[in-house]
Amino acid sequence: MISWIGALAILSATTITGFEFAKRVRERPKRLRELKVTLQALEAEIMYGSTPLNEAFQHIGKPLKEPLSSFFLTISDLLNQGVLSVQEAWEKELSVLAKETSFKSGEIEVLRQFGATLGRHDKEHQQKQIQLTLAHLNREEKEARDIQERYEKMCKSLGVLMGLLIIILLL
Amino acid sequence: MGLDVNTVFQIAGLGIIVAMLHTVLKMIGKEDYAHWVTLLGFVVALFMVISLLDDLFQKVKDVFLFHS
Repeated sequence: MISWIGALAILSATTITGFEFAKRVRERPKRLRELKVTLQALEAEIMYGSTPLNEAFQHIGKPLKEPLSSFFLTISDLLNQGVLSVQEAWEKELSVLAKETSFKSGEIEVLRQFGATLGRHDKEHQQKQIQLTLAHLNREEKEARDIQERYEKMCKSLGVLMGLLIIILLL
Repeated sequence: MGLDVNTVFQIAGLGIIVAMLHTVLKMIGKEDYAHWVTLLGFVVALFMVISLLDDLFQKVKDVFLFHS
């Protein structure tokens, strides 16, 4: 009786672990797509609205979901305080973002390079930088979707099967 | 006897699950991991069989009074 309860506990634990990994794998392309849409919005703000960066970040940060939203809103706040430069604020928040989300070092590096160009050039150069970053992000998204297709199922089934294996070994 | 049947089922289950793991890993494209998992499952099954064989030999010794 007791051993069956233990078996159930082990099985549910490994299954939940597998599903968590699958969720993390599934999260990344979604976040990347959001980021792309956001960069396009930023491009529109810069090109057609000629908005200052702190207001532009405020505008594009508000409709987003949690990790990205607080990323842009905090940068906007930091810029409003006027202590840090754009690049410093961007790098600071980027390290926070790297910890919180499922982004890998590739897109973090792309974003860091993009942050180094923010607010330094005129509109045309800025648009070119945004296009470049979007191209990089497109590539990363394609890769992320490839990984998702391959690994999502594997994580789920591996979780369940590992649980069954441990149970049988211990029984 | 009950213990023996239990162990046989255990080995059978081990085989089934290792086979499924092998299939999943192969489907994903990690063939090397698949082979390692199969090898490990085989080793574990061998350990179970070895403990059974040890019992058998002990019994044979006892029957023919080979006390060491």
